[in-house]
Amino acid sequence: MRNASDKYPVAVIGAGSFGTVVANLLAENGEVLFYSRRKEAVEAINKERSNNGQAMHPNVKATNDMQEIAEKCYLMFPSMSSDGFREVIRSMAVYLRPDHMMIHCTKGFDIKLEPGKSILDRDVVLQPSDIYTMSKVILEESCVKRVGCMSGPNLAREIAFHHPAATVIASKFEEVIREGESAIRSKRLQVYSNHDIFAVELAGVLKNSMALAAGALGGLGYGQNAMAFLITRGIGEIIRLATAMGADKQAFLGLAGIGDLVATCTSPLSRNYTVGARLAKGETLEYILSTSSEVAEGIKTVSISKKLADSTGTKTPIIQTIYKVLFEELKVEEALGYLMEYRWGYDADYM
Amino acid sequence: MLESVIPRIQDWPINRIAKKRDKILQETISETVLEFNKSYPTLFSLREQLQKTLYLENIRLKTEPWEVDPEDEREFWNGIKKRLLQADPAQIDEDASKELHQEMLQDIISRYANEIIGNFIPNMFWFARQALRLFFARLFNAHFGGLKGLFNPDEKLKDKLIVAGPVEKLRNLSTKGTVILVPTHFSNLDSVIIGFGMDYIGLPAFQYGAGLNLFNSKFFSFFMGNLGAYKLDRRKKNPVYLETLKSFSKTNILAGAHTIFFPGGTRSRAGNIEDDIKLGLLGTVMAAQRIHYEKNPSNLAPKIFIVPLTISYHFVLEASSLIEEQLKRTGKEQYLVNEGAPTTVKGIIKFFWETFSKSTDITLSLSEPMDVFGNALDDDGNSLDKFGQPVHIRNYFANKGQLKEDDQREMIYTQMLGEKIVEGFFKNNVVYASHVVTFVAFELLKKKLDYPDIFTLLRTSDEDREINWDEYKMCVKRVIDELYVLNNKEQIKLAPHMTTKELDEIIALGINNVCIYHANLPIMRNKEGNITSEDLKVLYYYHNRLKGYGLEKCIG
Repeated sequence: MRNASDKYPVAVIGAGSFGTVVANLLAENGEVLFYSRRKEAVEAINKERSNNGQAMHPNVKATNDMQEIAEKCYLMFPSMSSDGFREVIRSMAVYLRPDHMMIHCTKGFDIKLEPGKSILDRDVVLQPSDIYTMSKVILEESCVKRVGCMSGPNLAREIAFHHPAATVIASKFEEVIREGESAIRSKRLQVYSNHDIFAVELAGVLKNSMALAAGALGGLGYGQNAMAFLITRGIGEIIRLATAMGADKQAFLGLAGIGDLVATCTSPLSRNYTVGARLAKGETLEYILSTSSEVAEGIKTVSISKKLADSTGTKTPIIQTIYKVLFEELKVEEALGYLMEYRWGYDADYM
Repeated sequence: MLESVIPRIQDWPINRIAKKRDKILQETISETVLEFNKSYPTLFSLREQLQKTLYLENIRLKTEPWEVDPEDEREFWNGIKKRLLQADPAQIDEDASKELHQEMLQDIISRYANEIIGNFIPNMFWFARQALRLFFARLFNAHFGGLKGLFNPDEKLKDKLIVAGPVEKLRNLSTKGTVILVPTHFSNLDSVIIGFGMDYIGLPAFQYGAGLNLFNSKFFSFFMGNLGAYKLDRRKKNPVYLETLKSFSKTNILAGAHTIFFPGGTRSRAGNIEDDIKLGLLGTVMAAQRIHYEKNPSNLAPKIFIVPLTISYHFVLEASSLIEEQLKRTGKEQYLVNEGAPTTVKGIIKFFWETFSKSTDITLSLSEPMDVFGNALDDDGNSLDKFGQPVHIRNYFANKGQLKEDDQREMIYTQMLGEKIVEGFFKNNVVYASHVVTFVAFELLKKKLDYPDIFTLLRTSDEDREINWDEYKMCVKRVIDELYVLNNKEQIKLAPHMTTKELDEIIALGINNVCIYHANLPIMRNKEGNITSEDLKVLYYYHNRLKGYGLEKCIG
């Protein structure tokens, strides 16, 4: 809980569904300034007290004045989508100061590609050094050094319903973890800490491929044995890939790793899961893309993971197979057949 | 030769500090006592640390005695042993025991601080500078001869010892704050050469830590001890010594001493550019900057400037013994030891002779100066962000506007500074022909022989060491092309000879330059015109210089 004498509001930047959830969580402990680029959204929040179908806590005040936020707040929670993340940080950089702290809640990568190229292009080659996690973007684009991230099995809808949940705040700085925890911890959100921010950030993104695969298994009508098989071998592939990218393993066994993976793979409502299920029903990627407004994060993750596995020489049979389903028209049934015949060898070989 | 930014040696910061020697000593001691008690606040933990220190010092006395050690060393530590027994809190009153432990702590720290602290005598500096200039000038004259060389030695020196990078800015900043020079470390001669180079561009003398082993020689000891060197003893790894060293460093930086830190801690054993920065002493720089802000209003607080420096040699004096040590350390039983030759005066003279009399040179490549957070600086030393806007770095030490000491936070900041320094090393590494020719030769051999480990490779017999000339030349070309790409991206620098000469000339120059110094040729062309090596270990050493740039992909 925040100190009663602590008169500074906390900021949330980006009014998407997760940003809204975070703003409401923070509001239980004190005043919150909630940034949205869109004037209508700001008005709706301030007048109708609701956003994204969620009621807003009375402590939340919306604004689209970045300068006001930077002047009044020391602690900020950027929650923009990964696509617009760099742009937003860049636009606020002039207002940022060395005593600001940022704990981002965005599970995604920023990837520098040549102009005109997409991460889904088959001829694009990725090295681990091409991958920027959101904390690296903040460090690169602003003078803020005290960065952290919040990640874990935190499905926005469930938190909005006030179901209990736990999360991880990761930062190299004890100070950031302390500030973040006292700002957001409440009776409905348990907070754990981790110093390995890079691993926690990787875990939050790399799990998406497995969510897609889980959807495919669900779409084929398979049950919990198959799901457990996927989750356990999936975490193995994620760990191997992350290790090849220079991360440590430990964080992957925690909430942000296995915790988040279990939540995503067993939640049929997520966009990733839906794409997987549609693939299992025989729809092609092209068709799926043409009928949905947003590219599911998982499709990008599969492409990124596959490219990274190739450039680092990492063994990732599940990722390779989903890639073939998505981009090389392999049928889901055949893909599963291939994985069932694959010689895995020793069980927990990734520790 | 540039005019000195502070004309009178007497006015140099290092001399002002030398005049306050006793004050610095007292401050170091009281600061160490304070910090040590902060880390070990209970009688139990303090006693444990003192016992550990005694234990480690006894081992050192038995296994590694040096000539430079004072005669009463054994006596002193026997005394501590007795006093520890007498102060046993199980036997006597706790308050009395506490007091006795504090006295012991104070005595040990005082002994260490007195050993570490150096001195500076302006006249001695003047004398050493003249002697060194004369020595270098003689070397040129020996080669170039003629009246021109005799009367104009600086002209030649400029071509031999090149100080590249933002020289003017550094000169400017040296009068506005405290400069911490952080060089790569390849050779024992680094400090002499850097000292000479900085004097050459008109900077006042720097303080630097010299290994206590160098003080074994009375001659060196006399000179260095009075030229601003303080003493570092790598044998002493006990907690009290390390804390004393840190406090000493912090006290001096706070007093405004321009300092040279070798952030890798020791000479690079493998010949690579350091990427592992020792955070201990660098942390004292961070703490000093915070204390400046605690003691002064933000706009008046003295600033500390960090300047990474990459040294490029064609050949390294101790190449052979360094790589032996490295292999011994990493290889364990896989590696059969040959004792490397120790550095001798003859070796040093030969090194300078070859460097200055032949067509070869040394580059000291300065990185852009930065504050302790890696921000760029304007000419007045104000910190600028990447948009060129002022940044008030005081607030990095603040929480909600209040300055607050936070060791864990400063440790992370120091790590970040370390990363910035390494970035500077790599970006401003000046590539010489000799680096390229050795890199390609070793990588080609590695690829061709495809052994599972480096040790098997180093034992390869003579006939397997041959590399086809055409293949070699093609790979050199590819590596140079890639170096151009990196150079355009400002990720590396190229020596002028790399850009002005033809491929064949570059290869010949590189091979000749590595070979003029070593008795067993690390790289050579055989009768058939192919590339081979008489000393794979030394070849491996030189090749490591270009590790970390991803150039391996150009091979084969």
